[in-house]
Amino acid sequence: MSVPTTPVAAEAAAEQTQDSTRKPATRRRGKAPLSEGKKAERRLGLLLCAPAALVMIAVTAYPILYSVWLSLQRYDLKFPDERQFVGLENYVTVLTNEYWWTAFGVTMLITVVTVAVELVLGMGLALIMHRTLVGRGIVRTAALIPYGIVTVVAAFSWRYAWTPGTGYLANLVGDGAPLTERASSLAIIMLAEIWKTTPFMALLLMSGLALVPDDLLKAASMDGASAWQRFTKVMLPVMKPAILVALLFRTLDAFRVFDNIYVLTAGGNETSSVSMLAYNNLIRGLNLGIGSTMSVLIFLTVAVIAFIFVKLFGTAAPGSSEEERR
Amino acid sequence: MAALDNTARAKWRWGLLDVVVVVFALTPVLWIASLSFKTPATLTDGNFIPREWTLENYRSIFATDQFVRALINSIGIALIATAIAVVLGAMAAYAISRLDFPGKKVLVGVSLLIAMFPQVSLVSPLFDIERRLGIFDTWPGLILPYITFALPLAIYTLSAFFKQIPWDLEKAAKMDGATQAQAFRRVIAPLAAPGIFTTAILVFIFCWNDFLFAISLTSTERSRTVPVALSFFTGESQFEDPTGAISAAAVVITVPIILFVLFFQRRIVSGLTSGAVKG
Amino acid sequence: MSDPERTGRRRVRTRAGAAAAALALIAPMAACGTADEGGIPTINLYYAPEENFQQVVDRCNTEAEGRYRIAYRVLPRGADDQRVQMVRRLAAEDRGMDILGLDVTWTQEFAGAKWILEWTGEHRSEVEEGTLEGPLATARYEEKLYAAPKNTNVQLLWYRTDLVDTPPATWDEMIEQASRLKAEGKTHQVITMGAQYEGLVVLYNTLVASAGGRIIDEEANKAVMDEGAVRALEQLQRFATAGITDASFANAIEDPARLVFQSGGGAFQINWPYVYPALQEADPELAEKVRWARIPGVDAGTPSKVTIGGYNLAVSAYSEHPQESFEAAMCLRSAENQKFSAINDGVPPTIESVYDDPEMAQAYPMKDTILEQLQDAATRPRSPAYQNISTVTSAVLSPPSAIDPAATADELREAIQDALDSKGVLP
Repeated sequence: MSVPTTPVAAEAAAEQTQDSTRKPATRRRGKAPLSEGKKAERRLGLLLCAPAALVMIAVTAYPILYSVWLSLQRYDLKFPDERQFVGLENYVTVLTNEYWWTAFGVTMLITVVTVAVELVLGMGLALIMHRTLVGRGIVRTAALIPYGIVTVVAAFSWRYAWTPGTGYLANLVGDGAPLTERASSLAIIMLAEIWKTTPFMALLLMSGLALVPDDLLKAASMDGASAWQRFTKVMLPVMKPAILVALLFRTLDAFRVFDNIYVLTAGGNETSSVSMLAYNNLIRGLNLGIGSTMSVLIFLTVAVIAFIFVKLFGTAAPGSSEEERR
Repeated sequence: MAALDNTARAKWRWGLLDVVVVVFALTPVLWIASLSFKTPATLTDGNFIPREWTLENYRSIFATDQFVRALINSIGIALIATAIAVVLGAMAAYAISRLDFPGKKVLVGVSLLIAMFPQVSLVSPLFDIERRLGIFDTWPGLILPYITFALPLAIYTLSAFFKQIPWDLEKAAKMDGATQAQAFRRVIAPLAAPGIFTTAILVFIFCWNDFLFAISLTSTERSRTVPVALSFFTGESQFEDPTGAISAAAVVITVPIILFVLFFQRRIVSGLTSGAVKG
Repeated sequence: MSDPERTGRRRVRTRAGAAAAALALIAPMAACGTADEGGIPTINLYYAPEENFQQVVDRCNTEAEGRYRIAYRVLPRGADDQRVQMVRRLAAEDRGMDILGLDVTWTQEFAGAKWILEWTGEHRSEVEEGTLEGPLATARYEEKLYAAPKNTNVQLLWYRTDLVDTPPATWDEMIEQASRLKAEGKTHQVITMGAQYEGLVVLYNTLVASAGGRIIDEEANKAVMDEGAVRALEQLQRFATAGITDASFANAIEDPARLVFQSGGGAFQINWPYVYPALQEADPELAEKVRWARIPGVDAGTPSKVTIGGYNLAVSAYSEHPQESFEAAMCLRSAENQKFSAINDGVPPTIESVYDDPEMAQAYPMKDTILEQLQDAATRPRSPAYQNISTVTSAVLSPPSAIDPAATADELREAIQDALDSKGVLP
């Protein structure tokens, strides 16, 4: 919040606060008619959102609803005559299946570890990208390149690098082939994910950093705050919305990891993710019923995660509460 | 004297951190680049620096116009989708962060829902729709899904940024005698810039690197994008991976990303230094 | 409402208008592309990338003399990607595809789903005449012929003559030879593909067939996993745990395996014939020391039965020009064209007489061994549910060193039965 600098501006600010105190009163009464200004605001809001909403709904309404509908049917494309409605039977089949839970566990592990590491690394990287005194352009560009490379190509290059004989990294870990053991291949997968998407976090966090007012930081350091205190008490609160977006979207994406696993281990040694499972059932097995069920389950899991995040971050979420409005 | 030492030492410290970042980020990329310069015989010698250099891989990918066509498709589709997504997203984000209207939370929730649904299930129905509408294997056929799946991220990111902008400054500037347009241009736009450019970079990279939609919704060179073109590269035979050619292509298609980012990265931070929030 | 907002919206409205106009312009153009030109039917051939195949297509177009025109629409390099492209469009009853290049394991699946047409009468007899039995079996479903085999493929045993005197006749012999070399401190590894993918199923299938066993029954209704299949499991487990495989065996696919052997990382290799010309190009010195032989058998005295690969040409059930498509397909896989493809693209022919052609000798020094294996070939389980079978089999068998023959056999029997019935979840 900026401090009004002229008396006139101060008046304007006061007016604004009056406005905001007036409005809750109007709403609390509920039945009172809306003011002209309020109606105009609503119209404008709806109008501005309309194009985006229209595009999103037009493209995804049918596919999403169709997928959900398919998940309630026993439908194998290879035997089209045996199609029938079975209600929640598919869900029972999937949720009582060992493969599903193994993949779920692996996916959860990968998600939690990579997001946690990326948050820390991303924050560090954001700080460097934002505040470095030398070579700013180079660092920022170089740091974003991993995110810009086609995932499959990067995954192949990792595969080569970690295969004994053909790559430079395999020699660092002794004799065995790291991609043939479960623990080490999971570690390699996570490393590949982290390398690839930390820039995504860092970029969002850096832009959040850019909004931290310098004078606040100066004031804090003049008041004797240490670097760590400046970081936690000044920067982090201002960055909360940016952190939420970064965490939210990164988690959603991490849960749906596919490319890196597909190229590095093809899911061998029980390193499959739930996305690979859904892909195998939907595309290889042509089992539309089970495949759609898995998609819906993945979606529900991700929705729960998103819900938790939004609740945790409270008012920093987009579209929330009047208190944030100025 | 002490001040000078401090600055010099600070520079060295930051310089060192820079180097660490660059090494960590670029080593695998340089590995891909080195693969692209290796001859087929030395491809698997495990050396980081090629013993034998060749430009054959680069020559081979430009030998036919297949790859160039894919590059053109990618650039066009990604730029158009990015532009539209950022504009639509900015409009919606402005409304969400500043205005009160019914259905705001629903919109925010629904857009997140769209971002969360596994895309693998959506491709077949989408393919069906596009085939019926006749936009299968066309630019709009890819642009529309890209906009759709980029919008949630765009809306969320831009909302987060617009929330942080002190909008009263606009009023203050007008009080100080600026016109609406001037107020917007001099005060608001620079503050909105970080969010806009961040979103633009992220959306562009998403469109540029997408593989699933591109391979499912295209079938000829008319609209095939680069990641898909890579999967059409042939080796000498059915099983031989054209690793050299793919690496070369990967290097080539990373160049636009580098340019895009180089161009925009200054603007992300420049917003705040343009004088709006000085004490 | 302030000015910038209004101008902003106006700007967007014009942009939206422009986008809509662009859409309206491009949409009709999108519908074209596969349409016929000037009355001559266009036959759309969807086939994997093969370097010189366009020349074969051109030749057939000349022979067609205006009755039809084949257009070669290239599919992605990976077999799985090819299948996905075709399945998606066939499921949507797309009329734009005519001839489909099917991997040998897809024919039953496509036939069962009624996506491809049966070959009858003259077409059928022409295709069956002179074609090797193995590839022909892969094109049949329920006693009917659904595709015309275009080319086949079969793996060979490659070995280093400087390390090995006589190629082994059985797997156990090979393990013994390799172990001896290892004890002597020389290069000893047996390099082949063991990752969790189709290649592992190919390997296992070879072992099962060589041991005289069956994975599923003839009617493709029941998972059998008989005594021969169990012995094959034992053999695979012995092989994987003998300490003579390459370090990356459990994660190796074709090309990385080739590269390891090419850089001198092994004494034996079991891989497709394409590795030989690649080796000659990459390391001619090493190529001089490499020879080929029939893949070892499981039982002493019984020669191996090796799994075949390859491509068949089928006609889409939604094709608008089925008659012309049959004709075109027959031209594309004629003996003359198969010879051309064999010499220039390295894909072994399916018509027996081509192997006797003198021109084959130079490009295909190993053709005799290939023919020998083809005449006694093994096919993978022929069932519409093959993709399911393959997925569960490779998952259960991976990693090969963890196989416990009795337990794994039961696990496989159950999993494959579920796969056949399309029950349960694929791993």
